[in-house]
Amino acid sequence: MSTTMQLLRTDWFGLLVAFLLGAIMLGVAQPSFLSTYNIYVILTAFALSVLVALSQMVIVAIGQLNLSVGAIGGLAAITFAGAMDLWNVPIPVAILIGLMVGVAGGALNGVVTHVTGLNAFVVTLATLSIFKGTNIGITEAQPFYDIPEAVKTFGNARFGFFPYLLFVSGAILVAVWVFMRRAVLGRQLLAVGGNRNAAELSGISIGRVVVAAHVLSGTLAAVAGMLAVARLQLGQPTIGDDWLIISFAAPVIGGAVLAGGHVSVGGTLLGVAIIMLINNALVLLNVNPYAVQLLLGALILAAVALSRFRDPA
Amino acid sequence: MTEKLVITGASKAFPGVQALDDVSLALAPGCIHALLGENGAGKSTLIKIITGVHRPDAGTVLLDGEPVQFASPREAIARGISAVHQERNLIPRFSVGENIVLENLPRRRGLVDYGEVRETARRFMAPLGLEIDPDTPVRNLSVARMQLVEIAKALSLDARLLVLDEPTASITPYETETLFRLLRELRDKGVAILFVSHKLDEVFELCDSVTVLRDGRNACASRPLEGLDRADVVRLMIGREEQTARRTERTATGEPVLALRNVGTELGHRNVDLEVRAGEIVGLYGLVGAGRTELAKAIIGAAKVTSGEVQVDGKAVTIDSVATALSRHRIGYVSEDRKHEGLILMHSVRRNVAVTVWGRIARALGWLPNRAERDAVTPYIDRLQVRTPSLAQPVSLLSGGNQQKVSVAKWIAAEVRVLIIDEPTVGIDIQTKVYLHELIHELAAAGTAVILISSDMPEMISLADRIAVMSEFEVVGEIDNDHDATRMGEAIMARIHKVEGAT
Repeated sequence: MSTTMQLLRTDWFGLLVAFLLGAIMLGVAQPSFLSTYNIYVILTAFALSVLVALSQMVIVAIGQLNLSVGAIGGLAAITFAGAMDLWNVPIPVAILIGLMVGVAGGALNGVVTHVTGLNAFVVTLATLSIFKGTNIGITEAQPFYDIPEAVKTFGNARFGFFPYLLFVSGAILVAVWVFMRRAVLGRQLLAVGGNRNAAELSGISIGRVVVAAHVLSGTLAAVAGMLAVARLQLGQPTIGDDWLIISFAAPVIGGAVLAGGHVSVGGTLLGVAIIMLINNALVLLNVNPYAVQLLLGALILAAVALSRFRDPA
Repeated sequence: MTEKLVITGASKAFPGVQALDDVSLALAPGCIHALLGENGAGKSTLIKIITGVHRPDAGTVLLDGEPVQFASPREAIARGISAVHQERNLIPRFSVGENIVLENLPRRRGLVDYGEVRETARRFMAPLGLEIDPDTPVRNLSVARMQLVEIAKALSLDARLLVLDEPTASITPYETETLFRLLRELRDKGVAILFVSHKLDEVFELCDSVTVLRDGRNACASRPLEGLDRADVVRLMIGREEQTARRTERTATGEPVLALRNVGTELGHRNVDLEVRAGEIVGLYGLVGAGRTELAKAIIGAAKVTSGEVQVDGKAVTIDSVATALSRHRIGYVSEDRKHEGLILMHSVRRNVAVTVWGRIARALGWLPNRAERDAVTPYIDRLQVRTPSLAQPVSLLSGGNQQKVSVAKWIAAEVRVLIIDEPTVGIDIQTKVYLHELIHELAAAGTAVILISSDMPEMISLADRIAVMSEFEVVGEIDNDHDATRMGEAIMARIHKVEGAT
């Protein structure tokens, strides 16, 4: 097989080309695309969305779906903000509390899914409602405004076009990449997704792996939620409400097999990048914002069709 | 008399392989025709052309003297061709009855007539000796019974051309005999039958003529089987003489590594006693549904032991999960169903083999260096002579025989003390089979305690030291193997049928 063919078969190469072509075309059509501020805005959104996408990706890896990614993120966001606003706890403690919410939410999803044997789709639909209800109960739908200056500053800080938020996401992205490729648990996630029976008969504990995947998913969602607080400068109860589509779209565009067993961290990253590019293009070109949803839907269908074409088995 | 089916000069290429190259075959009505060849010789592709799954790139297909080009399997069925493919084509959650008559569900007032479904299904199950409730969901059946349901399904189409791809791969001699009697009856009624099997004894017993493929070409086309012997056919298939498996000398020593004492399971086993020592190969033989695979699953903790005692090194143990079986007691199980239970098809050779050793080779924090994984896997891939372009190749792209080797390799890599091997050579070619037999001897010689589950009587008699005969989830007898095929075969059958007579 030639090198070109090999590149074409990877999950990321076609996406990278598509992204670069899109960026160049947009840059030519609308030079303000390349302004420092615009790039900063895109990268900020990217920093959040990539965590949301990874949160879903680890569940897709085991062949399940997690509808509660946004609800966990939202709950973590308001507990993080609420702890600082109501109880005035130090920032590191608040972060820890936010993370614990993510861990607990994920653990609930994982344990219920495994113990009942129910489809994760149904389980996370139920927990989505539980998490969101808890969120509204705590906040009474009002944001927490009293966030420490340090958090706000961090949320707005940038190096030229490079938001500080992206340091966090970038580090996590690398960690997840290494985890999926080189950690026993990462491999076990993919083995369970690839063939649950074979994985079990190979001595992998299915329950442990399923719970671990959900805990990881919840934790990633929680981090995304807390970054959203920093960026918005307040603990908005609606954080996470609009994460669902992008959480599916990016991994799928990135070449994940929805039945499980194969995901690509690089592909997911590029999936998010392409979605950010499209979003930005529609804004810069003054397209009706509702068209964004429509285009995203079409993109998911195209990605699924492409993956069928690439790997008909 | 017009030939039923004539294929001339058929060629078919897939990306990277010329699967068929100028292949011909002629099949007369009232004739059972064997289609033989090693794995990858092109048999399945040829069958898929006949049944409308693939279209040939070149060549003609004449059905009853008329050229045909099927656009889909449906068209082939409409023209009286039905097939039992090697892959399962059943819907697991549907009942046996529905699966059998799926192509033409009987209707009454626009709704499915389930009374009729049951009745029709029974009509086609009876001649196969398949006595199960047609309402049973297919997924509750053993692999062997699923196979019989597939055959009943093909029969229900009243085809004039019946294609059977490895129909006996997972059924016992007893059921095979029933099937053969039925096929002969169909032949006498003028049905043309194309029969694919790796078991040459069956071919000589059943077939009238033969076509052999080698590397996608005809090694011979539609030759009468009379006048050919086994050696001739093997030479045609592999292009040289057949080898026999080398036996490694060994003696079983010491106390049993694994022993079952009066064991009962949630799956319905009763009073099972079984022992296996280091360096010993114990066979588990029985008819379909005798509970052999299920017993293996109970031993490795995938099903619950409800009474009696499982002992490892003489001490009673509780094995509550496959993870425990592997990590604490070093017991492994090579599944009979490599596609669904043995392998992760979309994953690479390396990952499939390494899955059992990850825990052992991982460094701190579960870190798995690439190199450690490669080093752990490579010796076994070499030792089993797995033909793969690289360790990164997805196993789905390997041939059946090589997939089976990978499925075995991962358990050899696990360095288990007790290895349960379930139907190791079903549907794989002669050379790989000989190779796996040698390997099982070697493993035992190196001190592994082996439990062999096989429905292949010659295989059982050539490999096992002792044979435990199972029937209806009980061990009904144990025989020391003297490697005399006739005597052992009779002894085993006597054990099985005595029990059947008593119930």
